[in-house]
Amino acid sequence: MIAIEVRRVGFTYPGGVRALDGVDLSVGPGETLGIIGQNGSGKSTLVRHLDGLLRPTEGQILLDGSVVGRRHVAELAGLVGIAFQDPNRQIFAGRVRTEVAFGPRNLGLRGAELDRRVTEALDMVGLAGTDEENPYDLGYSRRKLLSIASVLAMRTPIVVLDEPTTGQDLRGVARVRSVVAAIAAEGRTVIAISHDMRFVAETFRRVVVMRAGKIVLDGTPAQVFAEANWPALAETYLEPPLAARVGARLGVGSTPTEASLVQALTGRA
Amino acid sequence: MRPDPGPDPSVAIPEPGAAVLPAYVLRVPTGPYRALNPLTKFVIAIASAVVAFGVRGWTGPLSILVVTAAIALIAGVSRSLRRFVLATIPIVASILLVNAFLYPGATDVLFRVGPFAATGTGVTVALQAVLRVIAFALSVAVFSLTTATDDFLADLERRGTGRRLTFVIGSAIRTIPTMGSRAIEIVEAQRARGLDTEGSIRRRLRGIVPLAGPMVFGSLGEVEERTIALEARAFSAPVRRTAMRALPDSSTQRALRWVVGLGSLVLVAVSVAGRFPLP
Amino acid sequence: MSVATGTLRLSGATYRYAGARHDALTGVDLELAAGSVLGVVGPNEAGKSTLCLVAAGLAPVVVGGRLTGSVTIDGRETVGMRPHELAQRCGILFQDPQAQLSGTASTVFEELAFGPCNLGLPLGDVIDRVEASLATLGIAALADRDPARLSGGQAQLVALAAILALRPDFLVLDEPTSQLDPQGTRLVGEALRDLARESRTAILVVEHKTSLLDQLADRVVVIDHGRIVRAGPSAEVLGDPALVELGVEPPPRVRVRAALAGAGLRTPDEADQLLAEPAR
Repeated sequence: MIAIEVRRVGFTYPGGVRALDGVDLSVGPGETLGIIGQNGSGKSTLVRHLDGLLRPTEGQILLDGSVVGRRHVAELAGLVGIAFQDPNRQIFAGRVRTEVAFGPRNLGLRGAELDRRVTEALDMVGLAGTDEENPYDLGYSRRKLLSIASVLAMRTPIVVLDEPTTGQDLRGVARVRSVVAAIAAEGRTVIAISHDMRFVAETFRRVVVMRAGKIVLDGTPAQVFAEANWPALAETYLEPPLAARVGARLGVGSTPTEASLVQALTGRA
Repeated sequence: MRPDPGPDPSVAIPEPGAAVLPAYVLRVPTGPYRALNPLTKFVIAIASAVVAFGVRGWTGPLSILVVTAAIALIAGVSRSLRRFVLATIPIVASILLVNAFLYPGATDVLFRVGPFAATGTGVTVALQAVLRVIAFALSVAVFSLTTATDDFLADLERRGTGRRLTFVIGSAIRTIPTMGSRAIEIVEAQRARGLDTEGSIRRRLRGIVPLAGPMVFGSLGEVEERTIALEARAFSAPVRRTAMRALPDSSTQRALRWVVGLGSLVLVAVSVAGRFPLP
Repeated sequence: MSVATGTLRLSGATYRYAGARHDALTGVDLELAAGSVLGVVGPNEAGKSTLCLVAAGLAPVVVGGRLTGSVTIDGRETVGMRPHELAQRCGILFQDPQAQLSGTASTVFEELAFGPCNLGLPLGDVIDRVEASLATLGIAALADRDPARLSGGQAQLVALAAILALRPDFLVLDEPTSQLDPQGTRLVGEALRDLARESRTAILVVEHKTSLLDQLADRVVVIDHGRIVRAGPSAEVLGDPALVELGVEPPPRVRVRAALAGAGLRTPDEADQLLAEPAR
C-alpha cells in the first residue's frame, strides 16, 4: 500500500495557463479523499500528475517515497489507476469483457489470473453477467461503471475516479459509494473528484477543496464544511450540504451528513 | 441555380432606425488586398496555382513568385509567409535530391557525391520544380493569410452555395481543434490503463485500435445528437437562408475575376500547345 | 417575449425506436400548459430522454421509430409537422453544451442568429431576436465571445438562448445541468427560474437534481420503465416517501426531514426555514 506525496507542485500548460500553484498534499496509504472545486480549479490537472500524464513544472510527486520523475506512464499505471469522466472517450472494445481485460492485460496478466480479475471487477460494479454485451448497448450509467471496472481490474494500490457520479441516478451513485467502500476495505487508496457535495461528505474521510490551482481547505468533511469555512467555500461558489447548514443553525456543531446531524441531535436530546 | 441575391449589398443604403449588426459580427476586412471580395482572392489564388504548374519553363513559376510576393507586400503578410516557406522544405529537399541525382537519361554531370552523380539537366528540372512548389505554396499562403474562412464561407453562402455544403465545410474546419482535444482525452484514458505510447514502435502500434476506436465511435455517436440539435435549430427549413454578412463586391472585381481566371487558362493552353514565347 | 398560449399534450403516447424490441414509452399521458413548469424524474434508462424527444416531436419526425397515441401542440398533431415547424413551437436542450452549438459561429451573436437565419427571416428580425434572447438570459456580455471557449454553464446558456431565438412556446430540457460544475448549475438554474417566471414559456425539465426541481417545477412526474408511475404537485411528489424505491433521490430538505423523523426526532423550529418548501 502506497503513500502519495505532492511537494510544492506547480504546473503551467504550454499555452501559459497556470493550472497548479504551490500544491502540497500528503495522502497516506488506504486513505479515501474527495476533491471538490469548480471547473478550472486544478482538480483534474492534479490527478493527472499522479500517473505521469502530466509532469510538474515545479515541485515533485512521490509515490511510496520515490520520485515519479520521468517514469513512463505505462509503468505508473500499475500503481495509480485513473477512471476518467467520459466513458465514451475510453471504450473501444466490442465486448464488455475485452474492455475490462485491457488494463490488466497491459500490465502483463494472462490466462486464469486475468479472467479472475475481470470477473471480480465486473462483480464489484454490479455488471456481473454482462460479459458478452456490447458496451454501447449499456446505458450511460452502466457504461460509466464499466469504465470504473476496467480500472479496478488493474488492482492498483491507488484508484482515482474522475467525476464518477456525474449523470448517475440514485442507484448508480449508491453503487459508486459501495465501490469506494470496497476498495478502501482492501486498504487501497481512493481519490475521487466530484461536484456532488453530499456524495463527497458521505463517502470520504477526507475532503480537499481547490480553487485557482491551490488547495484552500483540507480536512475531514466535518472540518471542511464547518461554519467557519463557509466564507471560503462561498468564494469558490460552493455550498455546504443542507445537513451542515441545519446543524449550524441549531448550534450542534459541524454535521456534514444527515447521519451526523441525527447523531448530534440525539446526543443533545 | 438559385435566384440572384438582389442588389449589391455594398451599394445598399440602410433604412434609418433599422437594426444594425455589431462590428464584431460584420468583421469587414480592411487593407488594400484584404478588402477584396473573398471570391476574387480565391480566383487569384487558383489562377496563380494553375499558372505556376501549368506554364512550362521558368517564366510561369517565376512570374507567380513575383506576383505573390508583391501581393504579400501590399497586404502586409510577408513576414508570416516564412512559416509556409519553411513547411515546403521537406518536399523541396526531396525534389532537389531526386531530380538532381536520379534524373533518367541525363549525362551532363556537374559533380559527384559518392556513387551519385548530379546532372545539369537534373538540376535544372529540380530547380524549376522547386520554384513551382514554392510559388504554389505561397499563393495558397497569401490566400489563407488574407481571407478569413468565415468571410469566404459567408460569401459563398450569399452567392447561393446552399446551406448544407457551407455548413459541412465550416464545421469541418472548426471541428479540428475539438477533435484534437478529444484525441488527447482518449490517449490519456488509454495510457492510464497501461497503453504504452513511450515504448518501442511495436508496442505503440498495438495502440491503434484503443486510440482510434473511441475516436470513431465517439464521432459517430455524436452524429445523431448533432443532427437532432441541428434540426431543432430549423436547419432544414426549405427557404433561402438569411446571409448576415455581405462582403463588398463590384463589377470591377467581377471583371477582374473573369480576366484573371480565363487568362490563366489561356496561358496554360498556349504553353501546352508549345507556342509560349517566353522561356 | 411573446405571449405564449396553448398546451402541449401527450395522450396514450407509446413510442418504440426503429429496430428496437421493446417500447421505450408506454401509454404516457402528460400535459404542459402555458406558463407552467413540469419536472420529470426517474432512474436512468427509464425513458426520460425518449420522453423529451417525443414531447418535442423530434421522435418520430427526425429520429424515426413508431409513435402510437397522440402528441399535440394546440390541438395539432406533431407527427404531421416538418422539423423546422416543430423547432418554432417546441425547443429542446440537451446535456452537453458544446454538442448542441452549431460549430460554425465565431461569436455568440452569430450562434444565436443561426436558427433565425435558417428560417430566412429578414435581417432586422434576426437582429431583434438575437438581442431579445441575449437580454432574456442576461448574457449580453457574452455576445462577442467565441462559443467554443465558454465555460460549461455559459455555453449551456448560449445554447438555451439560441433555442429561444426561435420563439418556441414550449421548452424541453433534458438534464441541462448534469455536465456542469456547481457554478454552472447555479447559473442555468437561475436563468430557468427567471425564464419561467417572466415569460409564459412552458417548460418540461428532466433532472436528477431534485433540489432544482423543488425550486422550479409546479408539477412533477416520475417515469420508470417507460411509464408514468407518479404525477402531482411537485411538493407532493418530491415529498413522497416511496421516491427512493422508485430510484429517485429526494431533495435535501426532504431527506433531512426524513432522517430526523426516522430517528424519532422532531424537526426543531429553528430549522424550519431551511427545511421549508421553496417559494416558487
